[in-house]
Formats: sequence, structure tokens, C-alpha cells
Amino acid sequence: MDTKDLSRREFLRGAAVAGAGLAAAACGPTPAPTAAPTEAPAAAPTETAVVTPVKDKIVVGMSRPLSGWNATIGDAAFRPIYETWVPMVNAEGGIYVEEYGKKLPIELIIYDDKSDVGTMTRLTEKLILEDKVDFLWPASGTAFIFAQAPIATKYGYVLITAEGGATQIKDMLPSLPGVFVTLSFSDWYQLPVLAEILAAKGAKTAYVSYIADLHGIEYSGVAGIEFPKQGIDVVGLKSLPPDIKDLSPVIKDADASGADIFCCFAYPDQNMPACGTSMELGYNPKAWVGGPGVNFGFYHAAFGPAVEGLMGFTAFARGSSPALDQLADTLYEGKPEEINDWWGHPYYWAGLDVWKAAIEKAGTLDQEKIRDVIASASPENPLETVLGPTWFDNGLLAKETHPGEIGQWINGVFEVVGPTDKATAELVYPKPPWPTG
Amino acid sequence: MSIDRVLSKLWVPALLLIVLVLLATFTRYASAYTVILVTSILMYVVLTVSWSIFSGPTGYISLASAAFFGVGIYTAALLGTKLPLPIVILIGGLASSCLAFLVGALTLRLKGTYFAIFTFGLVELIKHLLLWYEIRMTGTRGRFVIVVDNNTIYQVMLAIFVLLLLTAYLVRRSRWGLALKSIGENEQAAAHMGVNVTLVKVSTFALSAVFMGAAGAIMATRWTYIDPYIAFNYFLSFMPVLMAIFGGLGHSFGPILGAAVFAYLEEVLITRFPYYYMLLFGIILLVVIVYLPNGLMGLVQTWRTRRLERQHATA
Repeated sequence: MDTKDLSRREFLRGAAVAGAGLAAAACGPTPAPTAAPTEAPAAAPTETAVVTPVKDKIVVGMSRPLSGWNATIGDAAFRPIYETWVPMVNAEGGIYVEEYGKKLPIELIIYDDKSDVGTMTRLTEKLILEDKVDFLWPASGTAFIFAQAPIATKYGYVLITAEGGATQIKDMLPSLPGVFVTLSFSDWYQLPVLAEILAAKGAKTAYVSYIADLHGIEYSGVAGIEFPKQGIDVVGLKSLPPDIKDLSPVIKDADASGADIFCCFAYPDQNMPACGTSMELGYNPKAWVGGPGVNFGFYHAAFGPAVEGLMGFTAFARGSSPALDQLADTLYEGKPEEINDWWGHPYYWAGLDVWKAAIEKAGTLDQEKIRDVIASASPENPLETVLGPTWFDNGLLAKETHPGEIGQWINGVFEVVGPTDKATAELVYPKPPWPTG
Repeated sequence: MSIDRVLSKLWVPALLLIVLVLLATFTRYASAYTVILVTSILMYVVLTVSWSIFSGPTGYISLASAAFFGVGIYTAALLGTKLPLPIVILIGGLASSCLAFLVGALTLRLKGTYFAIFTFGLVELIKHLLLWYEIRMTGTRGRFVIVVDNNTIYQVMLAIFVLLLLTAYLVRRSRWGLALKSIGENEQAAAHMGVNVTLVKVSTFALSAVFMGAAGAIMATRWTYIDPYIAFNYFLSFMPVLMAIFGGLGHSFGPILGAAVFAYLEEVLITRFPYYYMLLFGIILLVVIVYLPNGLMGLVQTWRTRRLERQHATA
């Protein structure tokens, strides 16, 4: 039997099948065989404004982590916000756009990026090029924003971010005129406030442990600058591998250093065991500061009275302002405590408020005009949001508009303790002892 | 020879040529997003076909694809701004190939599960090594990659794909391919017949990595921002294996068909049914594995045999 001939025939036949399959797959989503312009950026945003004066909705596109490792973060952070905010705005008929002389409801197109950056960049371009969405809402996470922002900029889309933010993005923002970052972060303006309020209480030394990734490096680096500025010496610095399980060597090392302040700039997977281990070993520094996690209701739900005195990053508490109290009622009333996020939620909500206010002010859906409205907002000419008068400072939500930076669990409530002029409670220093029994 | 037979011999190469011409001129008539989508499908096809060059005939299940792809990605991130694009892609391919050669020489004595687990460990090892290096030495974690025009990315990916097809075909048709097959059937017997088992295995492993590295280097320019977690995503180690099984491991075109259909299906599911994507995908995979043990190509072949039988019956 001539196997050589057979395999060649197989090869060619297979080639045809695969090729046809590939071609079919490729041509599937093509709308029509007309020559579509490949350079859409200039045309896309203006077309809605000029060509079609009739419009009955505002289409917003998002690539979100509905599955994969990032899903738990996305589901707890921005998702509950847009799922509450959009129906609320639509219940009032939508957003008034002067150009069309009426209110337009919001329609969301949401795709699952599987927590994969490559898929997210592709879906972002699909939303822009194929679905021709009027607006783009953000993907979830710092790395995802870094990848999405240049694409949004390339096509002239405004992008108001939600989850994520880092010092590194500050250097990029000048080249990304349509990108606005809402979340607060290390030197914007958390750690300067942390150092200031602790120094005011007499703290002299700090032990800093941090997760060995972008987040941890950034926070430990900024702490190394801000603590000494306030006369606090960093007497210990320890990096934690992301998959660390036993934190007792770190806690013992911190104990031995005798530092007033213990910092664990890491995620719940590290700072929850760090808290448990501190309790177990009876390590009770004068201030115990944890990274993302401490600000969530689930921390209190998990540790109960042991959270008393623990410090973390935050934005607001009940009592910050009537508007924010209202927000807390809307988001958390009658729901389990676990879902409370006192740091991120008001910023994500304010981001959507900024977007709505800018559309109303610009009276159009034109990206460039909306961008200009947001960029030109200032203390004299602010946009109204849940935070009150709001504006951006070189693409970052102005620190004056932050309702708070540092929080502390006091009597089972994550109160704002810094900056002092925005505090809802006074900082408890030194921290009370761990509960016994 | 009758005209009928000439025609029946010619239509397949003619169709292949037409498909290639269509793909080559694709950017002229397809919409901008279709080009992006097909680029991504081609990426999966390249990964799957390169994986099957080595793992198909030998039966060694390699889970190192993500490592080779990631090396390409980091090459583009490190050299993208300093060197012209074709050189960057070439270096990406060669760097992956060198890694594969080293790893292959060290580990191809491992068999079965041991080899699979080691290659998977490689992805994690490189990821953490890079993470350690970036944090300790450069003080950053992520890097920005130069942005390249989408049509260029498509054309480069298509070129890699065509070269890969040619290579896969030539390897399969050569003595080398026969040697690989005999290794898969009985490695000791192959060695006794005079096949230099180690050399054949290691060089094929290294050859398959060239294309994965090159694909990584060009794909990185689409992703714009990368870090070790993004670049060394173990997901891309499992996808080629799944896609090849989906298409049919025993057929030269199984991996291509599998990867193309699989990638397109995924796109449809994550955009049309984002909340049920995982569920639907799981069901489809189960059905294919249970009812189509030879993959999609197996299904195609069954249809063909049935049709032939029917023709015989009527004749």
C-alpha cells in the first residue's frame, strides 16, 4: 500500500477543510462584503453626533472578568456599582442629552474577558470597532487599565477607570488625555496621611512587610519616603512571596524589631493570616496597618471583635456626608456585611456620576467635548457627584475630593481617621489588646 | 488519465491556493475587528500546530507552550523599542528555541506524566524567576510593549502560520517524521533500528518552540502591557492540548481545525453568552470528548466513509 500517496492526499484534503473552516470563521462576523475602512478612529466618535440626529439610547461597552482569577475582585468591586447605578439612572429615563433634546437610557454590552489581558484588549477593540459603542467603561485591575488605556486613547475614547491605580500610571497620564483615574492609591494620598496621623500620636518606628509584586513594591517604596518625612524610622523591611502560607517568621521578626507600627501591604490572602498570626503570637504593636482587605466588611465578619484598632485604606464611613450616607444605604442596607467596601465603592460611583454630569454639561455624546468638560473641571467649576464637588488633577481624582484616606475599625465600624479634618472618629493609638478567650 | 481524474487531483491544491490568497488579501476587504479576531484565531492555530509537531507523533505531552510563548512576549517587551520588528520576532523565536533545546536535553528522558509535570513546572519557574528579577533588579513588575498596527500584526501572524504549515508538512513527510512516529510507537525499538532518539526528540522540541516564540513576540504588541503573570499564563499551556484533542490528534489537520473552531467558539460564547460562557464551554468539551473520541477530524472522516459506502451501494 502506498502510504506516501495516501498521506499527501490526506494533507491536501485536510488543508482544504481547515482552510474553509478558517475562512468561514473569519467571515462569520463580517457584516457585509463591502469595503470597510480599517481606520475607524476618527470616524467612530463623531458619526453618532453628526450623521444620526435620532438616537434612542446610550450604548456603553465593557470587558469584565466574569470568569477566571480576577472575577472575585470584579464581582465585589465595580460590578455591584454599575448594576445599581444604571437601573437607577434608567428609572429616571436616562441621561438628558441636549443635542437630541431628550433623555436617553443606558444600554450595557458586557463581555467576559476571562481575566486574560489578551482577550480584554481584543474585546475592547471589538466594542469600539464592531459594536461601535458610544462609551467605554473600564476593565478590572491595574494591569488591565495599563493595557486598555492606550487602546481607548488610540480610538479617541474617554476612559474613567474603576479598580486599579498606581504611581506608575501617573507618568503615563500625560500621554493619555482621555483617561481619568478615580481610585486613590499609595502616594495619592494614602501614605502621606498615614504617616502624618501616626507621627502626630507619637509613633517613632515602623516595620514594613509587603507582597512581592507591583502593589507591594509601590506601597513599601512610598512608605520608605513618607514615614521618614514625618520622623518615623523604617526599622524593618520584609518582602512576602505571593504564595506565602506561614507568616510567623515575619511576625516574630516584627515583634523583635520593637517597632511602633506594623504594616502588611498585601492582599487578603496575606493580611488575613498576618492578623491571625499576630493574635496567636500575642504580637500587639501600637498600630497595625493592612492593605486591601481590611477595608471590606468581610474582615469584620471573619474576625469579629479582633478587628478593633486595625487600620487600613478607606474612602468614607457613615457620617462622612449626607450624600455618602445615602450611598451606603443604597448599596449596603439589608445586605450581608461581607459586601461592604468602604474604600473603592464611592470612587467607582463618583466615576459614573462624573461621566453623567459631563454628558449633561457637554450636551452631546462627542468624546472630545466630554473629555474637555471633565479635564476642565476645577474647584471653581466642579462636576457634582456623590463625593460633592469633584474635579481631576492631571487625570487623577483630586485629593481634595477624597472623603477620607485612612480607616480604623472602632466599635465594629470602619471609621475614617485620617486626614483629621475629614475624620468620622479619632484615631485609637495605641491599638487595644487582642480579645482574650 | 481522464479529465475527471486530473480535476479530482487538482481541486484540492487549487482550493488551498484560493484560501491562502483570501487570507493574504484579507486586510483589504475584512472589517478592522475581523482582522483582529482572525489574528487571535491564527495565534491559537500556530500554538496548537507547533505543539502537535512534537507531541502529536511522539505522544510526549508538553505543557511548556506558555513558557515558549512567554519568552517571545518578553523578547518583544525588552527589545521592541530598540530593534526593528522582524528582528525582534526572529530573536523571540530563537530564544524560545534555545530554551526548548536546553530543557529538552535535560528532561526528554522523562516519560509520560513526569515529562508533562516538568514542562508545566517550567512555566511557573520562569514566571517566578522573572518576577524575582524584575522586583530585585529593575524595581518594576510590568512593561509596556511598542504598539504595532493591527494589519501588520495579522500579516506577521499569517506568515508565521504559513511557514509553520510548511515545516509541519515537511517534517511529517521526511525520514525525521517517520523517526518521530516510531519513537511514539516504541522508543526502544526505534533506538534499536538506529534512530538517534535523543537528537530527534530534542531538535523537534526546539523546532516547535521557534513558532511559539515568534507568535508570542508579535502578539505582545497587541497586548500593549505585560507582566510575568500575563506573559506566562498557564492557560496557554493547556489550550494547545485541548484544541489538538478537539480537532483530532491522529490527523495532520486536526490541530488546525480544532484550534480554529475552538477559538471562534470561545469568541462567540464570551460575547453572546458572557454569563454562561464557562458552563457552555464545559458542556461542549465534554460532548466532544465523550462522543467524538477522534475529534472533529474523526467526525469528518466518518462522514466521508459513509458517503463513499453509499456511493458503492448505489453503483
